[in-house]
Amino acid sequence: MEVKRERWGSRSLFIFAAIGSAIGLGNVWRFPYMTYEYGGGAFLFAWIIGLIILGIPWLMMEFGMGKYFQKGAPGVFEGIGKKWEWAGWWPVFVAFLIVAYYTVVMAWALRYAIDSITMAWGTGQAAAESTTGYFYDTILQISSGPTDFGAQVWLTLALLAVIWILMFFIMFKGARVIGKVVVWTVAIPWALLVILFIRGITLPGAVDGLNYYLSTDFSVLTDGGVWFAAFSQVAFSLSVGMAGMYAYGSFMAKKSDVNNNAAITTFADSATAFFAGFAVFSIVGFLMHALSVGATDVAASGLGLAFITFPAAISMMPALNGIIGAVFFFCLFFLGLDSAFFLAHGGVAAPLRDKLGWSLKKSTLIVCIAGFLLGILFTSQAGLYWLDIVDKAVSFYGLLITGIISCIIVGWVFGAKKLREYLNATSDFKFGAWWDWVIKLVIPIAMTFVVIYGGFMVDIPEAYGGYQIGPFNGSHIIWLILGITLILSFLLGRMKTKAPKEEE
Amino acid sequence: METSAMIAAFVVWALLIGGLIFCFTRMGRGGGWED
Repeated sequence: MEVKRERWGSRSLFIFAAIGSAIGLGNVWRFPYMTYEYGGGAFLFAWIIGLIILGIPWLMMEFGMGKYFQKGAPGVFEGIGKKWEWAGWWPVFVAFLIVAYYTVVMAWALRYAIDSITMAWGTGQAAAESTTGYFYDTILQISSGPTDFGAQVWLTLALLAVIWILMFFIMFKGARVIGKVVVWTVAIPWALLVILFIRGITLPGAVDGLNYYLSTDFSVLTDGGVWFAAFSQVAFSLSVGMAGMYAYGSFMAKKSDVNNNAAITTFADSATAFFAGFAVFSIVGFLMHALSVGATDVAASGLGLAFITFPAAISMMPALNGIIGAVFFFCLFFLGLDSAFFLAHGGVAAPLRDKLGWSLKKSTLIVCIAGFLLGILFTSQAGLYWLDIVDKAVSFYGLLITGIISCIIVGWVFGAKKLREYLNATSDFKFGAWWDWVIKLVIPIAMTFVVIYGGFMVDIPEAYGGYQIGPFNGSHIIWLILGITLILSFLLGRMKTKAPKEEE
Repeated sequence: METSAMIAAFVVWALLIGGLIFCFTRMGRGGGWED
């Protein structure tokens, strides 16, 4: 008996789900800073070229292989050949580790959203200048190093439990319910970004911030670093290399148009990142004006932007501080939510179900419990140190290396031409033979360059983050995480696959 | 805003929104949105 696979309710629900998974925290806290850092308009030029020659083809490959085999990542590579199945399990581990700490960052965002109501970190210049202390001492209660676990930060842990319970109820009914939820989790952060943008551009100094964001210096295009940054941004922003897009593709009907859906997802994700930059840099410009400091003093990326720079800007706002604070942190929370259930459901639960024959409810429950348990590590007082190490291991090395391996196996073993012809047959766009060479050569070479120059050349000679954990340093732990997950991938790849049960 | 920043903003918006509109208008096969 052939088991009926879960399906999106309609094409629009699939597109919303794919857009929701691609749009994440990085759209707000990474892309604007990268644009500012690497030459404004010149970076955007390199980034758009990267989107077209790298992003869309890569996304098409993952959606298309999932649709072809009607399986998540491991099932896809098992379909190519049993000896390649491990290559589908490695990104599953990447997805699992990412979602375990991503949900903790969402818990911090929720904590800040709650604190915004009373402006717990204060208002005025003194408060604005002490947001670093608020984040590290009050929110994280950070310890002295990664082996000094201290106590649990109970409020963060409780919020983490709430997030995983919420995710379970969104995921356990499968793609049809996820499709209905993502309509809201895509629309709400967009609406909140519009509010932030309007508030941002009506503040003094906003134009200066936008000038820093977008002022263009085309001479930087001769610098390889700009292309390197732009291409790596494309890889990180589309949620490829995390297993989930194979599963999301597998929930598509056989006649679905992958090529156009991949292009729509890429353009929508990119437009969101570009728009978020206006909201972020208008508020950064206001903070520069309010504190009389330069862009280099306040422009930041990642956790620094979200939990230090933005609270400072909110403290300095002339009115509506608490409301704008809540808007910003709920926006972060919702941006993260659909990416999180994409990782947990498409990245982990769907492959487990394909492999072990578990029901949708059982696989979802086990992933949620395991994700929460691992999250306890990141809610300890040493959590930020471990988050930093695991993030580097999986969302940099893991994502890129598994992506390179996937493209090589699909391109050379399965056959890029075969996949392209399969996708073109049901698509409004027909891609030419150039697409084959993007999958076979361009993506593997470009991403190998990023791994070597952006990773190994830095992390091999110097210990990552200066961490010391017993006899190991930070870089050793990164290699250990990659090595253990690779071995587990080989072991899972050798296991016999059980037929999935019919859904109840 | 500086001229180069305004040009960058305009061109990038034109490309991204233009790309989206182009994709939407090409959605024909298989029933468009209800595929």
